[in-house]
Amino acid sequence: MGRRVAVVSTKALVRGLKEGDQRACAALAQRYQGMLLHEAVYVFSLPFEDAEEIVSDVLLAVVQGIGSFTFQRGDGDFHVWVLAIFRNKVRDYVRRQAISGNLMVRLDEEQSTVDDEGIDSEASVVRIALHRYRDALVQEEQEEEGMNENRPGVAGAAAAKLATIADALERLETWERVLLRCRALHVPYEEIATYTGKSVAQLKVYHARVKRKFVKILAEYYPELRSHQHGER
Amino acid sequence: MANVDTLIRLAWLEGMVQTHGAYERAVLQRKEALSVSPAQQAQLVERLQGALQERRPLTVGSLLRSVRSNNKLVPHDVFTRIGVSRNIYTLMEQDAISPLKIPAAVWQRLMALLKIALPDMATLLRRTVQLTAYRPHFSGMLARYKGIKGGKKLTALEKAFAELYARADLELPPEHEQALEKLLEELRRSPGT
Repeated sequence: MGRRVAVVSTKALVRGLKEGDQRACAALAQRYQGMLLHEAVYVFSLPFEDAEEIVSDVLLAVVQGIGSFTFQRGDGDFHVWVLAIFRNKVRDYVRRQAISGNLMVRLDEEQSTVDDEGIDSEASVVRIALHRYRDALVQEEQEEEGMNENRPGVAGAAAAKLATIADALERLETWERVLLRCRALHVPYEEIATYTGKSVAQLKVYHARVKRKFVKILAEYYPELRSHQHGER
Repeated sequence: MANVDTLIRLAWLEGMVQTHGAYERAVLQRKEALSVSPAQQAQLVERLQGALQERRPLTVGSLLRSVRSNNKLVPHDVFTRIGVSRNIYTLMEQDAISPLKIPAAVWQRLMALLKIALPDMATLLRRTVQLTAYRPHFSGMLARYKGIKGGKKLTALEKAFAELYARADLELPPEHEQALEKLLEELRRSPGT
């Protein structure tokens, strides 16, 4: 490419895309390609090649769907809309990975351990939760193939398998919940401090502690973990 | 290594966990972005431009429909400004009337209203004339097909035919070609184009 693309405002970018201005494509790529690649690779741990393809698909969907986009509250609407498309594409990718078993391979290779307090290790809890999610996805896919028709709420049951995570989070204090949710998505401590009223130093210290508390709560949702341990002892 | 963060992210992807905009704000404020080579970016831009090209209205009808949808307008907002009746406007939106039957003054007003350059307008008019000129041919064929198949498939086929006839480079019947040239000449001569 070699040429510098002028920085344009969000409104001008959207107007350009809606009017079919080819220069708007360069502005869109310049603004979002590196940013979304970073999210896909470093936040969602996608392999670089797959991340590249997903980002490309996201921006393609933006161009194809720009006609239906409208500003409701302000300039930020466009960014939220782009990230919603990104989220859906990453979710679809993760579902495909889960169904094909790729998501579990690494986890199954890890050894399950029980810590000193007899609490199921983080890896065991994560493994069971992901296996349940994968099983629900596979079952849904089989049911869909059997019914041979499009049903609303695809992956509804698989998503429901993750409701335990939302439930377990609800059992934490509000600031603990905000800390865990935001850190999982790499929201900076400085920003979390403004939401929780805790200092950055406090949040950094508490993070590991809150995580352990969460794992303990989450383990209660999986009785098979306990029976597995008793069997081992 | 997978940890509970993986689960929370998955729950967020599946819509079971919310951050109430905190994630979106964080992404916008991040200083880091993966560097992309100029070649990679050029490749993506080319793909996006191809998609944008595909989205461009092919005919007068698709132009009017997209303008109305993008700007949340009702037909009244447009037909009063370009000076046609509601019925004619409806036919124009459906590409069911030949542009050759519409006075040049209407096209001038439309070009001024939507800020369309003459070469772009000429392409839209040619494709619409082409579609309306050949529509009777495929409509007749589809009418015979209607007797055999259901309505849903027929609508899809009709849309496909309309796009095919608008997109293809076909030779216009001589009388249409002459009338179109006359109309374009009038538009070229008019002030402001």
